[in-house]
Amino acid sequence: MTRYVTAVLLALSGYIHADLYLHGYRVIPLVGPAFLLQASGSFAIAVLLLFGNALIPRLAAAGLAAGALGGFAMSRTVGIGTFIEHGFDPAPQALISVLAEIAVLALLVVAWRIQAKTAGARATS
Amino acid sequence: MTRRQLLRHTAWFGAAVVLTVAGGEVISHISGPAEAAATDPLADPHALRFVQVSDSHLGFKGTANTAVEQSFQHAINQVNALPFRPDFVMHTGDLTHLSTPAQFDQVKQMLSHLNTAQTLTVPGEHDSVDDAGHKYRADFGAGAAGDGWYSFDMKGVHFLALVNTLSLEKLGHLGTDQLEFIRKDVAKLSADTPIVVFSHIPLFEMYSAWGWGTDDAVQALSYLRRFSSVTCLNGHVHQLFTKTEGNITFHSATTTAYPLPKPGDGPAPTPVTLPAGKLADALGVREVAYRQGNPGLAVKDVKLA
Repeated sequence: MTRYVTAVLLALSGYIHADLYLHGYRVIPLVGPAFLLQASGSFAIAVLLLFGNALIPRLAAAGLAAGALGGFAMSRTVGIGTFIEHGFDPAPQALISVLAEIAVLALLVVAWRIQAKTAGARATS
Repeated sequence: MTRRQLLRHTAWFGAAVVLTVAGGEVISHISGPAEAAATDPLADPHALRFVQVSDSHLGFKGTANTAVEQSFQHAINQVNALPFRPDFVMHTGDLTHLSTPAQFDQVKQMLSHLNTAQTLTVPGEHDSVDDAGHKYRADFGAGAAGDGWYSFDMKGVHFLALVNTLSLEKLGHLGTDQLEFIRKDVAKLSADTPIVVFSHIPLFEMYSAWGWGTDDAVQALSYLRRFSSVTCLNGHVHQLFTKTEGNITFHSATTTAYPLPKPGDGPAPTPVTLPAGKLADALGVREVAYRQGNPGLAVKDVKLA
């Protein structure tokens, strides 16, 4: 179940980045291509998560979510190249995207712990 | 890791890469016809294409650039060498360093060598030293309203050229008359009209402590909130900087003269002298294109080669 919710949240983050890319962000150096990569990568990994619980899609999902959060933090502090933004602007996309990415990371941790616990129980039985 | 596990990981990885590339292709083609989006709008002869040049400071003497006239000529040559003839070239202010008649005469002469249909300007604070912009308007203010502001339409885009350098104390200032001009000017436009705003001082708060902002810009921008695409292009800060606020994207341009420090880097925005051979990397011009039907403008900043 967590896998499907993770996929949906990742796709949501990808959709927000794709929408922002198409509505202005595409012209911003570094940020435009990064949004395109985040969006297409998120959609791709969301699809793969629906098909299986393999390590590679889970790692990629974590990387995409962490990367997006890292980019968000940089754009509010040191800037990305010559680009900087403040607060949760653009609203409401920035806040929704951040919450979705945090939830993706949390769900991946939960899934990983459940898997580790199950594997441990199997090994001891 | 067993061979089977390796194969499985490879398959997942390959699928992720293939789907990512395919997704990227789809997203980048969504905004318009596939063929149109695939080509660079700057290479499209039907697109609106213009160049922004800024902060040439003719007459500046200092170690940061001992030959600003030569750098400006270099920029002009670079514009003339573009593979397309720009619909217009906009100089976003500080054409001169001290607003002397000789400096205005020189910059006018040099601008006349641009290979473009039209050369446009907005004033910088260095273009109105001691005379409230009289000399600037005598040379460049034909057809403008008020203190030199104006608007025009070209290939589906509405342009506003604003003056925020005349009544400035610490920050840039537009003033009541100009705000009223903006309000009336855009009232007649439909919300899907792309808007481009030129000004010398940023219309966003880039760094207030150094005056890098405009105190009444919020009012001006409130008239532009209903438009789907608004692009503000400014000079003044001598460095590239991009910022978005909702539907509005701000692009600060670099200079053809000398760099200034990054915001807050040092006590004041004084000219920065770079190591030998590094100056050209800090100078540049900006190419901008707009193709009808696209959601926004393509902005390309190019260093002086």
